[in-house]
Amino acid sequence: MKALGHLTLALALAAALVGCGERDAAPPAGGLAVADMLGSLDSTGFQRAVDPRDFRFPEDHGPHEGFRTEWWYYTGNLTEPSGRRFGYQLTFFKNLLAADATERASDWGADQVFMAHFAVTDAGRERFFAFERFARRALGLAGAEGSPFRVWLEDWSATASPGGGMRLRAADQGVELDLVLDPGKPPVLQGDAGLSRKGSGEGNASYYYSQTRMPTRGRITIGEESFEVDGASWMDREWSTSVLEEGQIGWDWFSLQLADDRELMVYVIRRDDGSADPNSAGTLVGAGGDYRRLSRDDWRLEATGSWTSPESGARYPAGWKLSVPAAELELEIEPLLAGQELRHTFSYWEGAVEVSGASRGEPIDGRGYVELTGYQDSGS
Amino acid sequence: MSPVLRRLSRRHFARHPWQALLAVLGVGLGVAVVVSIDLANASALRAFSLSSEAVAGRATHRIVGGPAGVPEELYTRLRVENGVRPSAPVVAGYVGLRDRPGRTLQLLGVDPFAEEGFRSYLERGTGALDLEQLLIEPDTVWMSPGTAASLGLEPGAELILELAGLPREVRLGGLLEVHDLRRESLNDLVVADISTAQELLGFTGRLTRIELILESGRADAELRELAALLPSGVTVERAGAAGAAGEKMTGAFRTNLQALSLLAVLCGAFLIYNTVTFAVVQRRRLFGTLRALGVTRRELFGLILGEALLIGIVGAALGLAGGIFLARGLVAQVTRTINDLYFAVAVQSLALDPLVLAKGALLAVGASLLAALAPAAEATSTSARSALDRAELESRTHRAVPKASAAGVGLLAIGAVLLLVPGVGLAASFVGLFLLLLGFALLTPAATMALIALLTPLAGLVFGQLGRIGGRGVVAALSRTAVAISALMIAVSVIVGVDVMVRSFRGTVESWLQYSLPADLYLSSGSAPTGALDGVRPGFDAAFVERLSAIDGIAAMSTLRQTTARSGADQTRLIAVDLDAESFDSFAFKAGESAAIWPRFDRGEAVIVSEPYASRTGLGPGDEITLGTPFGERAWPVAGVYYDYASELGAVTMARRQYVEIWNDDSVTAISIRAAPGADVDALTDEIRAAGGERRLLIRSNQAIRAESLRVFDRTFLITGTLRLLATLVAFVGVLSALMALQFERSRELGVLRAQGLTPGQLWGLVTSQTGLMGLTAGLLALPVGIATAAVMIYVINRRSFGWTLEMELSPEPLLSALAVAIGAALIAGLYPAYRMARTPPAEALRSE
Repeated sequence: MKALGHLTLALALAAALVGCGERDAAPPAGGLAVADMLGSLDSTGFQRAVDPRDFRFPEDHGPHEGFRTEWWYYTGNLTEPSGRRFGYQLTFFKNLLAADATERASDWGADQVFMAHFAVTDAGRERFFAFERFARRALGLAGAEGSPFRVWLEDWSATASPGGGMRLRAADQGVELDLVLDPGKPPVLQGDAGLSRKGSGEGNASYYYSQTRMPTRGRITIGEESFEVDGASWMDREWSTSVLEEGQIGWDWFSLQLADDRELMVYVIRRDDGSADPNSAGTLVGAGGDYRRLSRDDWRLEATGSWTSPESGARYPAGWKLSVPAAELELEIEPLLAGQELRHTFSYWEGAVEVSGASRGEPIDGRGYVELTGYQDSGS
Repeated sequence: MSPVLRRLSRRHFARHPWQALLAVLGVGLGVAVVVSIDLANASALRAFSLSSEAVAGRATHRIVGGPAGVPEELYTRLRVENGVRPSAPVVAGYVGLRDRPGRTLQLLGVDPFAEEGFRSYLERGTGALDLEQLLIEPDTVWMSPGTAASLGLEPGAELILELAGLPREVRLGGLLEVHDLRRESLNDLVVADISTAQELLGFTGRLTRIELILESGRADAELRELAALLPSGVTVERAGAAGAAGEKMTGAFRTNLQALSLLAVLCGAFLIYNTVTFAVVQRRRLFGTLRALGVTRRELFGLILGEALLIGIVGAALGLAGGIFLARGLVAQVTRTINDLYFAVAVQSLALDPLVLAKGALLAVGASLLAALAPAAEATSTSARSALDRAELESRTHRAVPKASAAGVGLLAIGAVLLLVPGVGLAASFVGLFLLLLGFALLTPAATMALIALLTPLAGLVFGQLGRIGGRGVVAALSRTAVAISALMIAVSVIVGVDVMVRSFRGTVESWLQYSLPADLYLSSGSAPTGALDGVRPGFDAAFVERLSAIDGIAAMSTLRQTTARSGADQTRLIAVDLDAESFDSFAFKAGESAAIWPRFDRGEAVIVSEPYASRTGLGPGDEITLGTPFGERAWPVAGVYYDYASELGAVTMARRQYVEIWNDDSVTAISIRAAPGADVDALTDEIRAAGGERRLLIRSNQAIRAESLRVFDRTFLITGTLRLLATLVAFVGVLSALMALQFERSRELGVLRAQGLTPGQLWGLVTSQTGLMGLTAGLLALPVGIATAAVMIYVINRRSFGWTLEMELSPEPLLSALAVAIGAALIAGLYPAYRMARTPPAEALRSE
């Protein structure tokens, strides 16, 4: 469901770019309501994710032209030798504004806009830093390339590194990230061999693959302090044109890396009547890289607490019980830090979490990332 | 002060209401003039800073290049490789409007994604900005609601911009929302995406500047790092530099206005002094009696100063109200001038700066008190007995005349030193001028006595015995008449001075226009204000120039490119001309022969500079000028200094070939054309238009340019005319109050004459001859003083503030009209007292004391 998360982000981005339609007022500080934007975009002329396709790596790490949105989504849990915990998020969104390019004399003329989010969670000091950037795809200010792989927005970038890995670099206001990610397990094709349905409507789908456990090491700098860190990252890649359907208001997305080398991804699409959309789904990845799809009925999720953002007023669930009976997994998920809310063009919660529980009756723990969207109007 | 004394004071002004009224009016008028000029100046300056702030945003520094701007790759490099943030690329320039010839808009091209922190009205999240449209739709612009309304446009409407005459249709994408700026600061500003701005201005691949916000604490270190990243010819300057240059540019203009307003204050101060003096001397007998009755000097002093204070306060209130009223008219004139000469300033609203108002109020009260000090001291220092004696006062006054004259000569000497010693600043020059005027004022009593001695026989010839009585009366009552005549003289001389200066200036410019426009037709790409140092000036392309040169009826053609280059820390107006030896003759050199300068200029070995540039920088023949070029700093020797009245900023002019070689910029902002002998200029104009295609060309004959230039000149000096009018008014009120007081005071004397058989008609003659004589005296004295004032303004103040050589031109009209003002004011002032006296029965007049 990272996919949907991304989709909504991209939608919100598109909406921000379209200037909130006819609304006079600037978007409220709390951000844009995802559901308001649904149906406002015309897909004519864009590529759509309708049929399964062949994935080829590393080529598919690069951009896919013709789709309205595409993203490169990196999250990870890292530890400093002393045991101090960090989380990070670095995301690049590519947004195609028009299906047909206009010939321009100026090199600044562009039909693609990149947005990027960069966040660092410093659990040791209970700090959370988040930044947002935009740039047009022009003059090399932002872009994406297939070989060698490179996606960048000014000096934030993800690039191919020797040995099939990737190097992530980002810095803003004294917060710096410089990591090398090894490929780890082979890519996981989500949904139906990489075609991930998001709604019941024709073409409401995306191409979606993940690299679920990428061994990671590098350096995080916060102000004058610099930390050698290592841990594991999760990369989500998705491209699509279609949009959320009527009645879908947001989602809760979980990517968990368990200590027994398995990974679990589940997402719940929330409907406006409070129910979970039947298109909610998940994937369980085995230690050897084998994986199986989970349907809506294969798992149960229950929120155990909540947190209200003092800044945006949004009330998010905080703490869950997640059970996957088929795999005999009973997990408890707790945020590493309550305040991991990003408030930029739109608000959402995306943060590092701590996992504990039991697998086949044996104790197990793990780490992960959770994304919660569509909660803007949940407060007060 | 005791209630009795206060009542006395009240009674006096109740019996002479006109005296109180005129005093208040005098103070009020003087203050009104100062306040209005100050307010207009402050508003114009604020207009400038608001406009430039709105465009410049919150940038602290900017990366700039020469005429070719900054290569856009530099921006990418700084952002992607060096993480230089916040930084914002800007492409700015000037555009015209097809439907509104003469109206210039500033075009600001930005990348909205980089605007965060720079211009609040362009930051993302400003709901009105439709970023998608901005990025993917070419030729879309935004403007403020005010600008759109003034052009009658609604969002979505098409408008046609003109770039060097070429029409470019654009669409109004939306309206800019202003939250933290004054709405009007975005007037006449058009915002577009940087891509659209590059395409409209023909500036693809280049940026006008890259703006930066550096933290004040780390700016130096960052600047050093930054400097290492910049290619040659590209530099970082403080963002305030442009604003400071604007302030500097208009500084001389504003200082001059302020000084003129201070001249009005000088007149006003004389007026106050005159009024208060009068109110005191008139009651000398009363004060003498009071002193004899035991009223202390202190009490009396307090009484007089209290009256002055009251006059000052009421006058201040009147003056502030009047000043604000006047300023509303003046601010438009001032901004208009700044617009004509420097840059597009759209703000024309009045800013009521409390400091200016406080200054005006203080001036009114202070001047009133100061003016009252001398008469109060005089009235209280004399013994009670001698205070009762009028003759004592007059003889004391007469005894004081030589002392006053000596003081006057002293002031003249100090003033002359300030004006003649080179290297003294502008402010000191004005102090010098003030001292000169004060010196002349102090010399007035002596001059009056001498002049009246000469004129009395003349008055005798005209008015008979009464004329002689009138003349002697002026001298006999010198304690009153001297001040009135001085006040009138100062006011009239200021009028003469300003008048002669403006006429001389205009005459000089006119004759310069005659020889400096040798061609028949002139083509201009229009739009940018002459003095604008910033932004892209759209020019003619080489293909168009090529097409023109193929036209048969053209005997010779030369092109001009006006742009900006950096010289040291300053932006310098750089003009590149392509001339033949014959056209080069149209430069008149201050020093050196044009034939000798030409070969070096033509080969690009040397440049020539305009007179204001030379005087501003102190550079002249034999010196070198260093300009920033794409190849680093380069120096050219100055071959000559030429007369030029087009811009007080001055300009450096170089041969076009040299310019193109160095800056690789072949666009042209103006073209002059000499028609072949016998060619039909109208037909030629048509052919030129045809060569322009859809380009609307601004083709003007040399006469039209001359007329247009003079029109701008006249508009610039319109405000001077307004000031002159105000000064005249102040003078008029002054002389009116002085003379009326004088004549009323003579009620008793006139009553005696009436009792002795003087007819009402003869009384008219007496009063008229006396006031007329005073007016004539003041007028005659004002002529040399006025001419001296003009000379100071032309040869000292103008040179020090603008650096122009002006030919002083003395014509009879300003002198005669000044004389007429003086005499007219004096005669009118005599009308009412004469009328009253003639109607009062002698017995009552005798009783009046």
